[in-house]
Amino acid sequence: MTDIEIDINGNIVTAKAGEMLIVVTDRENISVPRFCYHKKLSVVSSCRICLVDVEGAIKPQPACSTPVVQGMKVQTQNVKTKNSQKSVMEFLLINHPLDCPICDQGGECELQDLAVEYGSDVSSFSEGKRIVTDSDIGVLIQTDMTRCIHCTRCVRFGVEIAGIMEMGGTGRGENLKIEPFLEQGIQSELSGNMIDICPVGALTSKPFKYELRSWQMNSISSIARHDLVGSNLFVQSYKGKVKRVVSADNDLVNEIWISDRDRFSYESLTHENRLLKPQIKVQGRWNQVSWEVALDYAIKGLNSHILKHQKADQLGGLVSNTATMEEFYLFKKILTEIGCDNIDYRLNVKNLDNTILLDSNIKLDALEKIDYALIIGTNIRLEQPMINHRLRKATKKGADIDVLNVMVFDFNYSLHTENIIAPNKIAFILAGVLKSIMINDGQELPDYLIAIDVDEIAKNIAYKMLNSDSSVIILGEHIINNVDASTIANLVAKIAKSANSRTLNLSITGNTIAANLVGCVPQNSGMNVNTMLASDMRGFILLDIYPQYNFHHLGAAIKAFEKDDTFVISLNSFKDDIVVGYSDVILPIASIYETSGTHLNINNDMQSYTAAVKAPNEVKPAWKVLKVMADLLELPGFNYEDSTQVLAEISYQSHVIHNHDIKDNLTSYHNGISVIWQNSPYSIDAVLRHSETLQETKIGQMNNAYMNQTSAKTLKVSVGDKYLGVLVIITDTVADDCVFINANQTTNIYGQV
Amino acid sequence: MISIRAKNQIDVWIAKYPKDRQSSAVMQALKIVQAENENILSASTIQEVADYLDMPGIAVQEVATFYENYNYKKVGKYVIRFCHNISCMLNGADDLIKHLENKLGVKTGEVTLDGLISVKKVECLGACVGAPMFQINEKYFENLTIDKIDKIVDNLK
Repeated sequence: MTDIEIDINGNIVTAKAGEMLIVVTDRENISVPRFCYHKKLSVVSSCRICLVDVEGAIKPQPACSTPVVQGMKVQTQNVKTKNSQKSVMEFLLINHPLDCPICDQGGECELQDLAVEYGSDVSSFSEGKRIVTDSDIGVLIQTDMTRCIHCTRCVRFGVEIAGIMEMGGTGRGENLKIEPFLEQGIQSELSGNMIDICPVGALTSKPFKYELRSWQMNSISSIARHDLVGSNLFVQSYKGKVKRVVSADNDLVNEIWISDRDRFSYESLTHENRLLKPQIKVQGRWNQVSWEVALDYAIKGLNSHILKHQKADQLGGLVSNTATMEEFYLFKKILTEIGCDNIDYRLNVKNLDNTILLDSNIKLDALEKIDYALIIGTNIRLEQPMINHRLRKATKKGADIDVLNVMVFDFNYSLHTENIIAPNKIAFILAGVLKSIMINDGQELPDYLIAIDVDEIAKNIAYKMLNSDSSVIILGEHIINNVDASTIANLVAKIAKSANSRTLNLSITGNTIAANLVGCVPQNSGMNVNTMLASDMRGFILLDIYPQYNFHHLGAAIKAFEKDDTFVISLNSFKDDIVVGYSDVILPIASIYETSGTHLNINNDMQSYTAAVKAPNEVKPAWKVLKVMADLLELPGFNYEDSTQVLAEISYQSHVIHNHDIKDNLTSYHNGISVIWQNSPYSIDAVLRHSETLQETKIGQMNNAYMNQTSAKTLKVSVGDKYLGVLVIITDTVADDCVFINANQTTNIYGQV
Repeated sequence: MISIRAKNQIDVWIAKYPKDRQSSAVMQALKIVQAENENILSASTIQEVADYLDMPGIAVQEVATFYENYNYKKVGKYVIRFCHNISCMLNGADDLIKHLENKLGVKTGEVTLDGLISVKKVECLGACVGAPMFQINEKYFENLTIDKIDKIVDNLK
């Protein structure tokens, strides 16, 4: 597009030919009102409030759909413009109830703001206003459709962003109504964004209903913690309580959207199950005590059980991947200082000799520009909604996406091919892809590929990989405990290298990248988590751990912690019977938004945030608790006054180059049925599990074990039975030799997966 | 359930549009399905049409509620769609509608007791040149007067 010059209010500004006028005025900070126009949505120019005077045009023109041309002269403030905007406003207010005093949008309402500026005190319309009956669209969004001005932003959001058309305009003329079909409610994992984009009070936050006015709240910018994106958001609080979370702009990270779980998870902060006071177990009885007593008890316990006997090698430090980068660092530092090398965060990995080591080397905004993606082992729409959104944008520009999954999942874009592959065969398909690419390139085949069959699926994927300019291979969570996990990761790395493709490792969750960066893994010859659980340990320090959800070997974990002579210090945010069962000291720690810290996203963007609210009652941020513990242990080098000093001390380890040698010879499939246990998308961490409204949604209720007829026969279960404590659904959408579980509950505690 | 016969009819319309544009046939599909279901569309038939054309249910609902030729409650054998849009209104449609209502003893939106005739007020039917006008099922009647209406309605049996 060529640069042109146009005249706005007598000032010459530069623009690109063909841009819409409103884009230019926005860039130049010239205010033009709008309701239906939204920079991330298509232009419909239906509300007409953005009418401006364009010289030469008899009628005022809508700025949102008027392309600029060289020499155009525009007046955004003159009488003609103001009069037309005033008239439009009068029309828009004909049926608007003007019930601002009882409307949740009051104070942050685009219509209210503009009505103050353009609205008239008197309306020419003296007839009765229309009233629209509301439909219940779910637990997250409150509707009051009488206030709707039919801008259709929510409708376009559904079609263009969420990828499922859920709202629509039914009826016609005066009977036009924005509503969902059949009151089936809104199911999208991004639905909360409709609240943000609704310019009036028609769609507001249901959990926040009638709580507060926007000006009463403190707004602190922060980072979302439930996925690998780290969406930017504002945490709004009142009198020390988080009342609402709204999205913040960051085009490189989350654009302007956030997922529902990032938006509504704040509710858990005031959950009745919050741990509020330190407690210690003395002779089998729990006592609530002061911090001094609890920490003293913890340190004495550590000394008497471990340190006095020089047995630091029988102490284990386990941390959940939800901690902040500073907490990971202090956790590791304190343990290594007392001579303990047994540190780990990889709690959900079945076999630590078979892990996924794969870099992510594509930027989030570059994902929109790919022309081919291969997705392996993830229900990406629900597991990484913001990343899925970028891929959806790529498909809209023509990208093809192939999927290798263990069952059919719901995608909100059309796929090139969706291949349902048994878990034990995924590595073989990928080997076929690699072989096909290498043969095409005339490379000599390594031994492990010689006997591999290249089937149609592999051939097609190889063809797409070779014929695309920018492709990406995405490896998901369902592969973590695959029998061939490390081989799969290595094959992905090799395919990407041969085909000049990028990789995205979504097999990790939470703040894992930070844990990795500070090296929260066994030091020197220390034990990894699974070895710790199998060894005779004298003590554990557990940070934010709920074993029934965190561990793959949960039975072994609980048994190891429960042992009589094992001294367990637990740092948790929520009460939990199992934690109470095995701990000797429970220290209440701050949850999200209550502590400062750093989150590292999939692009290694280091995003730090401050505490938005003070932790309730006697709860303390974990980094402070760790610091005080270190002081009490008389360890040197813990003189931190705030968490930024901790961050400053973290030396970035030189980037480890993974060696993607393939050791397996891939001769035969591993036999047997693989069970893939996935905590459902709204149950992946303690904060989400305590977010009551999210739990009521359809996604929150996901709790099923899916398998096909043959697997059901082998496992001797039928419809209505429970498998590992989860209701069985038999469907041929699942691959052979596979049980896929999406659970919002813990498994039957000692059941082994 | 959409019958096989109806599906065949819909397929004829789908074939008229480019591949992957089967949603263009939505209006005809709704008409065909409505004809099979006592001239009434229900939420479930709308959903079936949506599934058949691979469209979101709400998108079909939008079309079905926009146009006046789809019905949601019982209608008579003859549906009189009386235009009350601007040209017809200026030419006295409102009085004629009142006359028709009195004659039949029903309000607009209702069906006569014998189930023969129902009356609907509709938006412009594109026959302003002959305003005021109405449509009985598929047929247009233009330049209406009270006498003309009486004659037309008396002939409906």
